[in-house]
Amino acid sequence: MMDTFAALGGGFAVALVPTNLALAFLGCVIGTAIGVLPGIGPLNAIALLLPFCLALRLPPESALILLAAVYYGSGYGGRITAILLNMPGEPSAVLTTLDGHPLARQGRGGAALAISGIGSFVGATLSVILMSFLSVPLARVAVAFSPADYVALIAFALSLLGAVGGASAPKAWAAGCLGILLALIGVDSGTGVERFTAGSLELLGGVDFTVLAVGLFAIGEILLLIETSLRTEAAKLGGGKRLSLREILFCLPAMLRATGIGFVIGVLPGAGASVASALSYTAEKRLHESKDTFGKGDLRGVAAPETADNAAQIGNLVPMLSLGIPGSGTTAVLLGALLMYNITPGPLLFTQRPDVAWGLIASMYIGNAMLLLLNLPLVGVFARLLSVPAWVLYPGVLALSFGGVYAVSNSAFDLLMAIGFGIMGWLFRKLDIPLVPIVLGFVLGRMLEDNLRRALALSDGSVMELAASPVSIVLWGMTVVAVLWPLRAKIWKN
Amino acid sequence: MSAGSAEGARGTSIVSADRILGLLLIILAALVFWSAQSLIVPFAADPLGPKGFPYAVAVILAICGALILLERGPAFAWPERRAAPFLLVLAMVAYALLLETLGFILATTALALGVALLFGAGPWPALATGAVTGLALWALFDKLLDLPLPQGPIRGFLGA
Repeated sequence: MMDTFAALGGGFAVALVPTNLALAFLGCVIGTAIGVLPGIGPLNAIALLLPFCLALRLPPESALILLAAVYYGSGYGGRITAILLNMPGEPSAVLTTLDGHPLARQGRGGAALAISGIGSFVGATLSVILMSFLSVPLARVAVAFSPADYVALIAFALSLLGAVGGASAPKAWAAGCLGILLALIGVDSGTGVERFTAGSLELLGGVDFTVLAVGLFAIGEILLLIETSLRTEAAKLGGGKRLSLREILFCLPAMLRATGIGFVIGVLPGAGASVASALSYTAEKRLHESKDTFGKGDLRGVAAPETADNAAQIGNLVPMLSLGIPGSGTTAVLLGALLMYNITPGPLLFTQRPDVAWGLIASMYIGNAMLLLLNLPLVGVFARLLSVPAWVLYPGVLALSFGGVYAVSNSAFDLLMAIGFGIMGWLFRKLDIPLVPIVLGFVLGRMLEDNLRRALALSDGSVMELAASPVSIVLWGMTVVAVLWPLRAKIWKN
Repeated sequence: MSAGSAEGARGTSIVSADRILGLLLIILAALVFWSAQSLIVPFAADPLGPKGFPYAVAVILAICGALILLERGPAFAWPERRAAPFLLVLAMVAYALLLETLGFILATTALALGVALLFGAGPWPALATGAVTGLALWALFDKLLDLPLPQGPIRGFLGA
């Protein structure tokens, strides 16, 4: 307990350095803005910013503070379009439309925005507190993991890809395999053999993570947007009665329940913010079924999913930092960012790089307070971003993508490769192949192979040793369930 | 995240996109298998070596491909504006190939102009978008962040 406070104090010493404070603030502004803008999510924005962090040689803790602020800041922005336009700015804000938009049509858009902002703050801050106390104990458990346990853990994380998200399970797994295969391109660290390079010199060092992320999530998204040449219309905030303190207190129990649901869902691998916000909305609706006010503009119907959304986002970071296993696409990109700095998140991060781990956690207390202050009075400013025409916004985004990739490598080959990944991302979206498993497979692929080879070296090649410890037996059992669960309908039929 | 994902009208057909996709995945898995097989290992530091893991992934990929092949999925949703994505790809490839000769400002201005046109801007607004994007990003990269970018023929004008 006292250790945690001491470590957190060290973290604040890192987070309060002026550069890091400024980066956290910048991340919060960017995060909120991209949460508002349709077509750009936290994943796209982090993928875009990562090359700059590297090219500018930001120290890893500063880069992580900035990128994470964009990540949790986006949880504040997605609600704005959901409430004002009935159009979720990001997938996890879908549930916010159900009560948020009716409130806006009743002229209480301002109140709905305020309560969702407060809910986001409550959910995020309580979750950061939970994270402060849970990360190190979790990391301690994981220190005892053998390579074989890690193989089972990574296999479980990858198998869960099929169980979540709307896409078909085989497509999600296939995408995961493609990500793993992309990670294997280049010189094999164990033997020095070139794998899958097709004789290309540029591919000897492997596929650069920034090239993959920018291609899939920035260029691919623009290719998709240009098909429909998406237009958005400016929205009105609406006057109406302001949010009262009584109403905030009225929503507080719902926020606390949503924090619990969101954080737990977030910590579990695979399930993300969308699941958490849907679950907590349904829970509140069931709880107050007799009154029949949900779906017609109940403030709790806005507070609950927004709180759970932010709580889950923070919860998602816990396995990424303590185990080195990301649970979502965005945390996978954050993990990829750390790997680019030669820092491997996982059980040893808290002892070897406390400045990175605790600096990040401390910065999240500060960042969420900044976000609350940014979002309550300035919500109108962010809403006005919606009137920026697509033909101003996306040429800039595309040029930023190319500039960032080029600044890292100074190589036109990397630009062409990013375009190739962009085309891949665009086609995959049209074929309903999820892109998140590609990133997860990419960051976990090498780790999986290294641990597998280490485990087999320890066991002299005996495969049975992979499922010998109690931890690995449980994890392999859960993996089998996670693989068979999505296929149950098919097995049933035959 | 993506507001423009293609839901809309979709029929099912026997030669669906998923059938082709499943087949392509199986072919890819076979290629991976073949490519891994031809690896020559000078020394084996561990019992698995560099081939075993790619083999396993290729097998899983092939099984996924077969499962996708068996599903009867929706037909491929063609873009509403079929030409736009192809023109955008052409513009991007041209940018990648010409960036080092033209320099960042010229190439970026041309790219942003073209993309603005594809997003439905009029010619003058598109030109303005292009010029502002090119110059603003050059100022951001070169002056503010001090990142090296190709200068191209207009180096002298900007005193860089």
